[in-house]
Amino acid sequence: MNQSKGCFPTLEIAKINLKHNSLMSIFVAGILCLLVPLLIGTANLDRNAAAMPLEMFVSLIGIVLLTPVFQPEQNEEINDLVSSKYFSTEKVYLIRIVYSAVAAILLIVAFTVYMKIRSCDMAPVMVLGTVADAVFLGAMGMLTSALTGNTVIGYMPPLLYYALNIGMGPKLGSFYLFSMAIGNYKAKIWLFAMGVLMIAGSLLYQKLRKRTI
Amino acid sequence: MLFVREIKKIVKSIPYLIFVAAIIIGLYSQGVFRFDKDPLQEPQPGGVNGSYGYRYDEIPQMVMPSALRNLLSEFSNNNYTTYPIGFMKHVKLGEGEQEGMAEILSEITGSSKETILREVVGIDSAGSDNYTFQIGGDNMQQGEDGNFTIGSDAKQHNEPEKLTFAVRDDLEYSRFRELMKQADDLLGGGSKYAPDSLSQYGTVPLTYEEAKERYKLALNSDQITGGYARLFSDYAGAMVLSVLPVFLAVILCMKDQRAKMEALIYTKKMSGVKLTLIRYAALVIAAMLPVVILSYLSNMVVWGSYSGMRLDYLAPLKYDLGWLMPSVMISTAIGMFLTELTDTPIAVAVQGLWWMFDINLGIKTVHSGYSLFRLAPRHNVGAKAWFKTQDYLDYFQNLMQNRFLMAGISLLLVIFTILIYEAKRKGKFGGNESIKRVFSNFRNRKNQSQA
Repeated sequence: MNQSKGCFPTLEIAKINLKHNSLMSIFVAGILCLLVPLLIGTANLDRNAAAMPLEMFVSLIGIVLLTPVFQPEQNEEINDLVSSKYFSTEKVYLIRIVYSAVAAILLIVAFTVYMKIRSCDMAPVMVLGTVADAVFLGAMGMLTSALTGNTVIGYMPPLLYYALNIGMGPKLGSFYLFSMAIGNYKAKIWLFAMGVLMIAGSLLYQKLRKRTI
Repeated sequence: MLFVREIKKIVKSIPYLIFVAAIIIGLYSQGVFRFDKDPLQEPQPGGVNGSYGYRYDEIPQMVMPSALRNLLSEFSNNNYTTYPIGFMKHVKLGEGEQEGMAEILSEITGSSKETILREVVGIDSAGSDNYTFQIGGDNMQQGEDGNFTIGSDAKQHNEPEKLTFAVRDDLEYSRFRELMKQADDLLGGGSKYAPDSLSQYGTVPLTYEEAKERYKLALNSDQITGGYARLFSDYAGAMVLSVLPVFLAVILCMKDQRAKMEALIYTKKMSGVKLTLIRYAALVIAAMLPVVILSYLSNMVVWGSYSGMRLDYLAPLKYDLGWLMPSVMISTAIGMFLTELTDTPIAVAVQGLWWMFDINLGIKTVHSGYSLFRLAPRHNVGAKAWFKTQDYLDYFQNLMQNRFLMAGISLLLVIFTILIYEAKRKGKFGGNESIKRVFSNFRNRKNQSQA
């Protein structure tokens, strides 16, 4: 705790946040991954069929992990306390985003390896595609949470978007979440780029909002 | 009046705006405001290019060879596709179970189990109607009679001896059904061999008379508007109304907590029964309000196309209340109950998960669309298929059971919510804190016993 003002205690903040704010989200994301093989086939699948569990289920961990990034400070008392500290809250958000994204990537890699072991036709690009979906959905939740100041509301748009994908299918073009299942990998670039933009937008909004208060 | 105040509070909130936007976007994407582009048309002699569409029928002469063909193909690769709870699953059987399957095939075809196990390997399916079978490294082809003939290379040099796999002539359909049930059990259920799925092997073209019958049913039973209202309900229930009301409930219930007003409200005279019921009614009515309006907007676009015909102008309202409201009720009740119990938004995860499974279940069979625990019943049929009104009438009983069950569970959950609220008010239960305390006591006891 004896950090100098010049040295930002990144690891310390990450550890404390993980313990107090994110363990539950990571636990729920893990449970979601464990449930998938009970619900849908994860063995002996060809490339397109193997994309289904990843895109339709595993990618949902993005919503679970990224949407609650701003939640602790949405409690006014915590916000007042954190605001009185010398380090910037945006950096804390960034730390949470990074470790949440890392947790998502690790879970997606682990699930892909598990499917590979179960004789599915997997490729590294499928990990990237699933990460793109997870980042997009999670970022949509983050942005809504930032704009409304309420994490629960943040879960609404990504769920609606997921329903739209089931209802509209490939009509959504480059923003179709389940494109790998029909052999299209390019759409993921758009999803990922849009996801990163939304994350940046939500961080910027948080910063601006703080200045105006 | 508290009820009006609660409604106002809900309707003026951001989540409600998102909820309304979600319903409009979700339904617009499914074309429910353009039903006039999908008119109900009387079938004309000759149909569309000589066709009036198709129906599934469990005709033994069609079902038996087709189901056998599928089973042989899957058996040969030991890769069976099943849908145990709606999602696709690939099942690989163990040696003993494959032998069991061979016994079933043996009884169906009349060939010995050993022959089947020895000869049927690596069948390669090259399309639904064009199967190339390789048995024991040789080729098997489907003849005009629907039988599968296998020629052996070694034997072709001399006099080719052919193995034929076809359904035994003397096999009764009832026994075939039993054997298919056994095959389905071996696969863990949900396969294409389950008795309620066998009719999918019998695709029969509709005759002019049958098409006409369907049209008449759409006119007389559905009175046209009923068919459109049902399709609207199918989309509205599955896409939005069985999940989003939980958000409204959770956010409203957590509002007091966020504003730190809980303790103050506990001191008020208002009884827990009255407060909870008013809030529940306000949430359900607020959620149903845009649905009723949109269902009429969707239905009204077709009214002009059928002037002079008998239309049921109350059909949208009937479907809103009978088909959609129980989904809204259960979603709202789960939201209120779990929020009151845990003081956390865990209801969002619970309802979200249930909805996700339900929406992905799809509609494998008509029966599954109306099954007992279906969160959002499905009947995704438009005017082109004359709304398949007969299916709806056949399964109406199942639909009613499902809807009453959902409404019943909802009311039970509301009662539990009231009990929890009253317990909290009297200080006998502290919500999330109490749950945490129970867990920590349990941990302490465990540690003590270990010590």
